Amino acid sequence: MSKPEHYIGIDKDINGGMTSIGKIIRDAWVFGLIEETETCEGWNLAGIDALLQKVNAEWDKYGCMVSALPEPLSTRHRDIHAKAIQHAKQAGWSGEHETGDEE
Amino acid sequence: MAKTYDAGVKEYRETYWMPDYTPKDTDILACFKVTPQDGVPREEVAAAVAAESSTGTWTTVWTDLLTDLDYYKGRAYAIEDVPGDDTCFYAFIAYPIDLFEEGSVVNVMTSLVGNVFGFKALRALRLEDIRFPIAYVMTCNGPPQGIQQERDILNKYGRPMLGCTIKPKLGLSAKNYGRACYEGLRGGLDFTKDDENVNSQPFMRWRARFDFVMEAIHKAEAETGERKGHYLNVTAATSDEMMKRAEYAKEIGAPIIMHDYITGGWSANTQLAQWCQDNGMLLHIHRAMHAVLDRNPHHGIHFRVLTKILRLSGGDHLHSGTVVGKLEGDRDATLGWIDIMRDSYIKEDRSRGIFFDQDWGAMPGVLPVASGGIHVWHMPALVNIFGDDSVLQFGGGTLGHPWGNAAGAAANRVAVEACVEARNMGRELEKEGKDILTAAAKHSPELAAAMETWKEIKFEFDTVDKIDVAHK
Repeated sequence: MSKPEHYIGIDKDINGGMTSIGKIIRDAWVFGLIEETETCEGWNLAGIDALLQKVNAEWDKYGCMVSALPEPLSTRHRDIHAKAIQHAKQAGWSGEHETGDEE
Repeated sequence: MAKTYDAGVKEYRETYWMPDYTPKDTDILACFKVTPQDGVPREEVAAAVAAESSTGTWTTVWTDLLTDLDYYKGRAYAIEDVPGDDTCFYAFIAYPIDLFEEGSVVNVMTSLVGNVFGFKALRALRLEDIRFPIAYVMTCNGPPQGIQQERDILNKYGRPMLGCTIKPKLGLSAKNYGRACYEGLRGGLDFTKDDENVNSQPFMRWRARFDFVMEAIHKAEAETGERKGHYLNVTAATSDEMMKRAEYAKEIGAPIIMHDYITGGWSANTQLAQWCQDNGMLLHIHRAMHAVLDRNPHHGIHFRVLTKILRLSGGDHLHSGTVVGKLEGDRDATLGWIDIMRDSYIKEDRSRGIFFDQDWGAMPGVLPVASGGIHVWHMPALVNIFGDDSVLQFGGGTLGHPWGNAAGAAANRVAVEACVEARNMGRELEKEGKDILTAAAKHSPELAAAMETWKEIKFEFDTVDKIDVAHK
């Protein structure tokens, strides 16, 4: 199977978007780095990686802690992620996907 | 006229079956589960195992008489039924301590699980347990630092420590890998860990990984005021290369390194452990390949033996199984080898699969690491089962948090502290776990989200390798 060169878009991603890239995009929405309508469809890996670095820089302002986010970021984070979790569960994702057989 | 000897082959039991023998305090004792070929008497097979795991391979017939065979031979001194299984039996064998080189688990295991496992008279053979006499224990270096010294080095007391295996977040760049470590440590973990199959592949060479991970540790320590560590995997193709990586880890200030003691080899492990002791480094031990040896109930080496081998060879942490997670692990048997890791004296207890008393003297203990398939809902049971002297390692249970790595780490830290506090106040963790976690989650949105993510998961697989009494 050939490796895709471009991201499929968070709305079409596996596990209802509950993926590493999906989490980056949602955090980018929270911090206003991209519009909430931006699914990143067609972005290449360099574009996603550049977005990750920006997201990391934003998180560094708050020690990476959700509980340290000020308003209105806190509310935005809660709303965006609650909607995403609900969507992912409807798409069949559950926490069990995350707890594999690693040791 | 000089004495002459008959040519021919003697039956093993004439020499190696000694039911009247009383084992000495200095003997190394072994319990094998023996599945013989049809029609071979138990005493003969037990004697054959004693012979082929001691002096039997040294000699051919009359030359036995040129060695001090009566002193060096293994002695099969007892056989017992295996509860619930008529296809096999236990054979107990005593070996004189002088048969083995001091401080060398390599030498002991080369004899005990060497040629004998391919012996034709056997259909299957499993080494169930070994009793190492204190006289032999004293010749081994053991864990580099031990549990108390590790707590002092890290300034962490009164709770289990928390860890997480780092999986690549976005590709395999060392920089992004280091970032994932930082997020976990910043969120509240004590340790992050290299995946066992991350050594020094072309996609991420060890030196770049070590550098970025140390940057993460320094940043997390500065922001949290706590000591942090990452198990830098120094397992390598040669022991020279392994030592080179260990030296570099020390040079950049890493407090702990990691080795895979079965695939890497016990000789390399003992060398590394001694170096760690000399250099004030902690040593985390992974056990890749253990299930190849220990999972079959009739053939191989039981993990309690591999646990003893590690404690003698040296390591400060050892993966133990979780009891409550997705991975294999009978509860009683797991509790048995956890005692073997940590306690200074372990009594024979067949209900836990422990066949011999084991006296470790003053040799430091090893922290059991519960890792794999666990998440916050398991925390009450894990704290109850493992107690404070343990490392609870949530991989997917950290990185799989829908809010990200730091949130996953924070959820686990809040959960463990809530459970420890409740336990210290006399509450029953496994009975009141839900209430304890729910109360803690009121003050931690990260924990609340984790509880929502994993609440529906149940693990109900039966274990393959059970205590023998359970086979009935």
